[in-house]
Amino acid sequence: MKADGIGAAAHRLGGIGRVTGHQQYLADIRLADMLHVKLVKLDCARARIVSVDKSAAEQVPGVRLIMTADDLPQPVPRFGPQFQDRPILADGETKYHGEPVAAVAADTKEAAEEAARLVVVEHEVLEGGVFSVADALDPGAPLVQDPSIRADDQWARTNILREHRFGWGDVDAQEADLVIENLYEFPMVTHFAIEPHGFMAAPDGEGIAVWSTIQHPYLLQKTIGKLLKLPLSKVRVFAPDPGGGFGGKQNPKLEPLVAYIALHTGRPARLVLTLEETFQAVRRASAEVTVRTGLNSDGTLVFEDFECNFLIGAYVDIADRVVTKGSYLAAGPYRVPAVRIVARGILSHTTPSTAFRGFGIPQVTWARESNLDEGARALGIDRLEIRLHNLAEKGEEFVPGDTPADGHWVQSVQRAAELIGWDQPLAPGRGRGIALGLKSGPTTGLSYSTVRLLADGSVLVFSGTSDMGQGARTVFAQIASQELGVPLDRISVVMGDSSVVPYDQQTSASRSSVLMGTAVFNACLDIRNKLTALIAARFEVPESDISIEGGVVRIPDVEMTITEALQAGLGPLGGELVGNGEMRKDKDPSHPLGGSAAFFEFNTTAIELEVDPGTGEITILRHITVGDVGTALNPLQVAGQDEGAAIMGLGHTLMEHYIFDEDGRIRNLGAIDYRIPTSMDLPLQMRSDSIENADGPGPYGVKGISEGALLAVSPAVGSAVTEATGLIIRDLPLTPQRVWEAMTERA
Amino acid sequence: MKTFEYARPSTVAEAVALLEQHGPDAELLAGGTDLVIEMRNAWKVPKVVIDLKRIDELRPAIRENGQWISISSTTVMTDIAEDARIQKYFPALVESAVVVGSVQIRARATLAGNICNGSPAADTAPPLLIYRAVVAIAGPAGRHKIPIDDFIVGPGKVALGRGELVTGIELPIPRQPIGAAYTRLTRRRGTDLASITLCCSVEEGGVARIAYGSVGPRAVLVEDSSGVLADPGAPDERKSEILDEVFADASPSLRSMRASPDYRRAMLRVLGARALQTAIDRFGDAS
Ligand SMILES: Cc1cc2nc3c(=O)[nH]c(=O)nc-3n(C[C@H](O)[C@H](O)[C@H](O)COP(=O)(O)OP(=O)(O)OC[C@H]3O[C@@H](n4cnc5c(N)ncnc54)[C@H](O)[C@@H]3O)c2cc1C
Repeated sequence: MKADGIGAAAHRLGGIGRVTGHQQYLADIRLADMLHVKLVKLDCARARIVSVDKSAAEQVPGVRLIMTADDLPQPVPRFGPQFQDRPILADGETKYHGEPVAAVAADTKEAAEEAARLVVVEHEVLEGGVFSVADALDPGAPLVQDPSIRADDQWARTNILREHRFGWGDVDAQEADLVIENLYEFPMVTHFAIEPHGFMAAPDGEGIAVWSTIQHPYLLQKTIGKLLKLPLSKVRVFAPDPGGGFGGKQNPKLEPLVAYIALHTGRPARLVLTLEETFQAVRRASAEVTVRTGLNSDGTLVFEDFECNFLIGAYVDIADRVVTKGSYLAAGPYRVPAVRIVARGILSHTTPSTAFRGFGIPQVTWARESNLDEGARALGIDRLEIRLHNLAEKGEEFVPGDTPADGHWVQSVQRAAELIGWDQPLAPGRGRGIALGLKSGPTTGLSYSTVRLLADGSVLVFSGTSDMGQGARTVFAQIASQELGVPLDRISVVMGDSSVVPYDQQTSASRSSVLMGTAVFNACLDIRNKLTALIAARFEVPESDISIEGGVVRIPDVEMTITEALQAGLGPLGGELVGNGEMRKDKDPSHPLGGSAAFFEFNTTAIELEVDPGTGEITILRHITVGDVGTALNPLQVAGQDEGAAIMGLGHTLMEHYIFDEDGRIRNLGAIDYRIPTSMDLPLQMRSDSIENADGPGPYGVKGISEGALLAVSPAVGSAVTEATGLIIRDLPLTPQRVWEAMTERA
Repeated sequence: MKTFEYARPSTVAEAVALLEQHGPDAELLAGGTDLVIEMRNAWKVPKVVIDLKRIDELRPAIRENGQWISISSTTVMTDIAEDARIQKYFPALVESAVVVGSVQIRARATLAGNICNGSPAADTAPPLLIYRAVVAIAGPAGRHKIPIDDFIVGPGKVALGRGELVTGIELPIPRQPIGAAYTRLTRRRGTDLASITLCCSVEEGGVARIAYGSVGPRAVLVEDSSGVLADPGAPDERKSEILDEVFADASPSLRSMRASPDYRRAMLRVLGARALQTAIDRFGDAS
């Protein structure tokens, strides 16, 4: 069964279509009579909108609607996954560079673009925009969020959205031989999915149909239903497989606007963002993390004390959750007797931040792991040694009250050390680094799946997961193949239509193999049970005498394929067997995160590099990434996810960052001056490996895997740079110029 | 993008006539790797786009007559980089052509377009200055040639009058040994616009020439005939003093996001010294 089932390096379902351009992305879908939408934006961050003059734009042939906040129900409807704070269009004031003020809908894209340029928005740029943590905390700073949005909240009259406190033990009572305290900064970066974000809507009978490049179609369905006061059954969401999401496509953004335009005009409407607009729509929260690490002289961690300030942007989106989930595990995979964490989400006049692969963990990991290295250096202890010394063992409740360590993490650390040759002599001018990353998987979850075994023995799997390139379709088909003994080429996975596919909570937090995987597994089990009942009746044998294994059905004296058994069982009318499966992880209101970790994603990253002493340029010679995956359902896809995540981590480590001017405009909008790694920027050698002990909670012992390889890239690189140059840099990215400046300052 | 008219002349004369007729309302299209982006961003809004790619006279792409190599204005970077004659005589031009954009860009981007676009960061400008290239121009008043140093004027500006276009770029085949090297500073190794472009040559008689760009309105050429730079044995301090003079005219942008002025100035020295060393080594191999 290895060829198609669990553990097979099966090729991607739909992979050929994806790479040959045959896959239908949202922007490839054409509806008859469709309007094209273009946003009207101001070239400034914070401004008061005085008036909007549509007259010149309305003259452009083909323009059908110019929508402003005044054309919407009043007060302007707001929405959001955590706070109902994001208006459909800017409401009296723009709060970040690029916030949509109006939208033009026209018969052609060109007409919409031209008209959008001609809409005159009279506005007054407001002084005192909040663009940094320091700006936001200044007592004289304007409030980014209207206090009425959280009227009873103690923080409503500040730019702090919320302050969270976690921890255990008494940090102040601990005595340490060495205390190291530093501030680490993590830049604002954007997801840069290759497929642009796109949204379409069309009136659909008494309801509405909405298309989106979204990761959470069922959240979108709920959001639209609530805004338009429609029952869920009248909101049909189509979610064609996205071309990359990385968290940026999780939550609804401009779908409500396009839905209002469609209803207003009675015509289908479509908006596809440019890359520049995408920068203004989604980003990762930047962070300033101060960490105090207390160590004994033998390297034992005594306490960790964190202050994490995340700059989250103008609207909350899912950022408060990023703040809590990112900081709750700040102390990492270590045994630490006392931990104090203060974490704040701080509002600012910048692009709203959202979920992004790693979900707050990379920011904090950069600080914790780098500071641990400073401690190790000060104590003269090897950086690998200090990690192994403090690492939690399997089963250890390293975060009191939470899921105990769910893997033999030491194996991953040792494998990475071995692969990088940690104990081998280092060539002159080179440096190595090793760092650990830990992220909790989902804390709640709800996934349903339906599997249909059709009369000819082929299979349809229904799953509400979004396959945005991570390969969910393939893995679900492999599970069905394993359980029903059907080859992959006879299985289709149906996704992306809320009227056809049952509910799934979301595609995030590396959850789908574990949660939806279990639902698919259970649906297959349901089919096997039904088949057993059919066979028992048809052959008049007790159910206990029937076994189904690897696609073969056995009853005493008879052996047949599942298809034969099915056809015999169904009789001359044919038909099919329908199985349903569910996986639920309920809320735990007593837990600070609303639930314990379903599993942990644990990763060790090891780097060897050299630094050009003249230019400051870093060359990564070797990049090792080892995850604790439970079971690799598909090793090829595990390697693909690891490599992608590792390279994405190199982006924010080496080159990616938003650059702002004094007025909060993003200066490097687009691909020319916002640099992401290309194939030529990759490490000269990259290797991913997995530790498999089948100790995860999903089917076959699987854990989630898609974020791990990103978590610890920055501190591993930073540590190696320090070893190569003697320099300590605590601000990312480590661009050649920044490294050169550090070298020059020292000289 | 705003709609425009599209013309595809089949002779240079036709193209010149169209250009003369439409003046500033017209834009020439070669590979389009600059023009299309400028039009998309509405920095240029031509009423007429004149495509040069179907003009027979502009083929074959690369010709040699014993004294000159001429590269027609529709020749793309890929063809330049793969041409054995250019590899032999003008290796530093090849080094600059192979770093322009990416594989896809190099298959479209022309050498003439790179120069005519007038970007201070154009990768091929420094080697063309070093190799004493001459630009062949056709216009309403007929044809003429001018040295590349006079052709490049400033950001977005080249020495073309109304109705004029470039038919080719011509390079004199060096009669004496020359060692040359091209290098640049970028923020990453893949596709990037350079923060410094720099080409060095070392020639007979101890002459060293350095052309550099992206640190001022246009790429500039400086010649050192003191013999110091070209001398492998000259003391570092002496070289350093002369390099100070060579780069004295650099005026890197204060507002650039790509590199700070301090970093650019410092890197001119680092890259300059490295390229010079390569040029000296190559000169040694050539002579
Ligand atoms: C992704 C990307 C990466 C890039 N990377 C680099 C890089 O690394 N280095 C670099 O130097 N450039 C780079 N460029 C810029 C561009 O590719 C080059 O400048 C290219 O050589 C331009 O040539 P073209 O044939 O495409 O010119 P076009 O875009 O067709 O024309 C450019 C300009 O020159 C004019 N023009 C063209 N031909 C003639 C002629 N015969 N006579 C008179 N005027 C003419 C046009 O009217 C236009 O104004 C990059 C561009 C892109 C899109």
